[in-house]
Amino acid sequence: MKLSSCLSAVFMASVALAETHYYNWTAAWSNLNLDGVKERPVITCNGEFPWPEIRIKRGDRVVIQLHNDLGDQNTSIHFHGIFQHNQTSQDGVPMLTQCETPPGYSYTYNFTVEDQVGSFWYHSHSKGQYMDGMRGTFIIEDPDGYPYDYDEEVTLTISEWYHELVTPLTQSFLNRYNPTGAEPIPQNLLWNNTMNGTWTVEPDKTYLLRIINIGGFVSQYLWIQDHEFEVVAVDGVYVEKNVTEELYITVAQRYDVLIHTKNDTSTNYAFMQGFDLDMLDTTPKDLIQNATSYMVYDENADMPDEYLLEDGTEYLDDFYLVPLTPEKLLPEPDHVITVDVVMDNLGNGINYAFFNRTSYTAPKVPALASVFSAGDAADNQTIYGSNTDSIVLQKDEIVEIVLNNNDTGKHPFHLHGHVFQVVERGPTYFDEPGPVPYGTDGSEDYVAPDYPARRDTLYVRPQSYFRIRFKADNPGVWFFHCHIEWHLLQGLAIVLIEDPKGIQEFQTLDDAWYENCDAMGIQTEGNAAGNTEDYYDLKGENVQEKELPAGFTARGIVAMVFSCIAGVIGCITIFFYGMADIPNIEQRVMDDLHMESKDLLNDDDEDDELDRMDPAADSDKVDNVKENTSSQGSSNDQKLRH
Amino acid sequence: MADVFIVQIFFIVFRETLEAVIVVAVLLAFVKQSIGKNHPKLYKTLLKQIWIGAFLGVFICLVIGCAFIGAFYSLGKNIWGKSEELWEGIFCIIATVLITVMGIAMLRINKMQAKWRVKIARSLIQPPATRRERFKIGYLLKKYALFVLPFVTTLREGLEAVVFVGGVGITGHSARGFPLPVVCGLIAGIAVGTFMYYGGSAVSLQIFLCISTAILYLIAAGLFSRGIWFFETNTFNKKTGGDASENGSGPGSYDISKSVWHVNCCNPETDNGWDVFNALLGWQNSATYGSVISYNVYWLFLIIVMALIMFEEKKGHLPFCKNLKMRQLNPMYHIKGKKNNELNEAEQAALFKKAESNLNRRAEEMEKEEAAQQATQHEMNAIPAQH
Repeated sequence: MKLSSCLSAVFMASVALAETHYYNWTAAWSNLNLDGVKERPVITCNGEFPWPEIRIKRGDRVVIQLHNDLGDQNTSIHFHGIFQHNQTSQDGVPMLTQCETPPGYSYTYNFTVEDQVGSFWYHSHSKGQYMDGMRGTFIIEDPDGYPYDYDEEVTLTISEWYHELVTPLTQSFLNRYNPTGAEPIPQNLLWNNTMNGTWTVEPDKTYLLRIINIGGFVSQYLWIQDHEFEVVAVDGVYVEKNVTEELYITVAQRYDVLIHTKNDTSTNYAFMQGFDLDMLDTTPKDLIQNATSYMVYDENADMPDEYLLEDGTEYLDDFYLVPLTPEKLLPEPDHVITVDVVMDNLGNGINYAFFNRTSYTAPKVPALASVFSAGDAADNQTIYGSNTDSIVLQKDEIVEIVLNNNDTGKHPFHLHGHVFQVVERGPTYFDEPGPVPYGTDGSEDYVAPDYPARRDTLYVRPQSYFRIRFKADNPGVWFFHCHIEWHLLQGLAIVLIEDPKGIQEFQTLDDAWYENCDAMGIQTEGNAAGNTEDYYDLKGENVQEKELPAGFTARGIVAMVFSCIAGVIGCITIFFYGMADIPNIEQRVMDDLHMESKDLLNDDDEDDELDRMDPAADSDKVDNVKENTSSQGSSNDQKLRH
Repeated sequence: MADVFIVQIFFIVFRETLEAVIVVAVLLAFVKQSIGKNHPKLYKTLLKQIWIGAFLGVFICLVIGCAFIGAFYSLGKNIWGKSEELWEGIFCIIATVLITVMGIAMLRINKMQAKWRVKIARSLIQPPATRRERFKIGYLLKKYALFVLPFVTTLREGLEAVVFVGGVGITGHSARGFPLPVVCGLIAGIAVGTFMYYGGSAVSLQIFLCISTAILYLIAAGLFSRGIWFFETNTFNKKTGGDASENGSGPGSYDISKSVWHVNCCNPETDNGWDVFNALLGWQNSATYGSVISYNVYWLFLIIVMALIMFEEKKGHLPFCKNLKMRQLNPMYHIKGKKNNELNEAEQAALFKKAESNLNRRAEEMEKEEAAQQATQHEMNAIPAQH
């Protein structure tokens, strides 16, 4: 008894506080009205909304059994920002780290959060699905305590909200009648899954606000009337305190901020969210550009009106955030990946997004399954497909991604499995006629910060670039993609196959993983094309649409030739017609011409008769008679001559 | 170049001017032939009438044209707003129809001359009126026929030009592009018309007319194709929410499913020089099935119509229908109901004769009148002398 209690004490101590959190979730549709404007189907968890917050401590295990009861859609869950060290199969990316779970099936996610703390979130990684509501917050508490003091902790999610479902929106978005790739315009901004929400605060207290943008498209500006944010962490990385009036948060980014409340409880304040209107293709007249929520000190006092910052207020530039645990700038990279972001149309007229002319097209076999089944060939990135933009990284090499944004919009890029160092981020080149790629704007003398900011989602400015670095010390299949769901649907992603040998050596796929693929009828062996014989033969792999036909194709030439011939023959006909002699032309002219001439001759006679019959005819009579005589005379002459 | 010189406008103005010049020339020649030597005084008066009429017509239609285009630019932009393509398409089609209808007839300059001779004859056949009738409109019209005819002619040609110009160039061009081609067209039309009529032979005039008609029809075919293209673009823009055109000529600025060819350059709407190509030959950098087919169909239609006319001219009826003539297909022919009112040669000759004698008689009367007036004046002068 004593021994056993002793043992258990030791056990408890050794595992520290390692706890396993079990969740049993069913994803299904319910009709809900989140923004108070329109009821629409929303993906709920066990019939409830919003999805529950996962709150664990560092070192804990999470086990989630997800049942798909959506009926018409496959699903998956990705735990955003979690490294999934040696458990890449739990990363939840369809056709890379797992197969989707079809309707009626279940799949269990089971992973440990080893060494991360902070604010994270989870969401479906299937085709923009999370914008229909399938997303929640994921908070990892620090067993060592939060490094900054606060009195109370609050999680705040923000996102845009559509009145239409993602599926129909996608149909009209990826459509040849949307050739500019204009993203659907959201109807509203949500604040903790509602509009005009209230946050009741107590005076003179410090609140830790975990702000998470769980949206799929627009970045938001955030500010509170007469209050300041003290930023203390971004994307699960503690930073030195940084005070700002205004935050700019792209989708998938997280900011932990401290807010100190006032002593005075007489007034309530506006908690504002603003659309980044630059991201919207058009600004509908009825769009509420700034959503107002309320920071309530006194529920009986008036609620504040919309509060706008002065023009020229600058939001916090996350580039300058210094991590609380500084990490020296990584050395010069062993492996530089340069990618150009381009939005363009393919042969079907649809606007796609490209990294170096490749629009990510999912392989036929999940990349992770290829890693496990390819043996030695797993080290060769060819086998992962020519249209997946897969890049094999060697163990522990320093990788730098140089991303040039040829597009005129901002894009938040997210790397799975890592936080990266932000080495450099170019300024906005909005007015330049073309993109300014890295290394062409005369910033050769640029010196990267010694202790750069680290995060997992970073935006690049219009027509500009960024450089990020990380060490390839987390074997796995990691997606690097634009977190704007519309752009991911357009194919703005690359795949990093990090240390494939390490994956083979230290990781496994369990039966449930394979069963999940079986349920979808997806092959779990072979290269990207599903070829298990010759891994270098990619025949039959999934590829993007053909390029737009360039200029004149065969039909263009035929059309042109026909038109030319038609024109020439037409002109010849005109000449033939114009020069042709016409027999008895005078006669014909008279035919064509008005018979009024004849009428005239006849009229005269008629007038004559009239005149004779009507003695009261006006004085024209005399003239007419005279006239008649002469004309008759002349026509008589004519006849005589014949 | 496109900014200040719209090629289609030059051609249309040139063409209309040429027609007006020829009409005026026919008038002048007729008057000269009829009374030039016998009655120099009346000849002078009539000459003056012709010229005043012609220039007044030109002047008025210039005023109307300027007002029209001015109004177009000041009001139009707001009225059209988003459906600019639709309007451009409609104008293109209207212009095509007008050119098509007018063009073929104009080829027969011989006909035109004969036609004008008859018209003049007819107008002169009307008698001079008694004194108290002199200010009645009907009488005035008749008396000043040689003023009214050129006036109406130039006005009509001019208004035609205004409508064509409106149809061709009104949209997508700045107002700056109008004056220069209009002036050049006027000058060129007058120069060529004068030279052709007085200097050249009938054959060279005919050849020249053929060339200009061919160009006119190339323009018309292009316009027709362009009109259809505008309708398609309008549909596409409606479906895309109207933001496709902002893309210039790049990917996404056109509907791939309807594209026959597309080159990312040479856009007649934005790239210099190609608008001329577009104006004369209907060039599109982004051709659609609609634009290509309509271009070819237009030519086919034209060729068939000309062939039918030629057949009828030779055989006296349309092929396969012995009793059917071209103009019987025109509904107006039946509405007016003048099937059997045709002049025979004798009647025609009589008409001319009558006109000529009428004219001479008028000249005589005028001389008499003047003589009488002079006599009266002599008397008037004489009276004070008696006192």
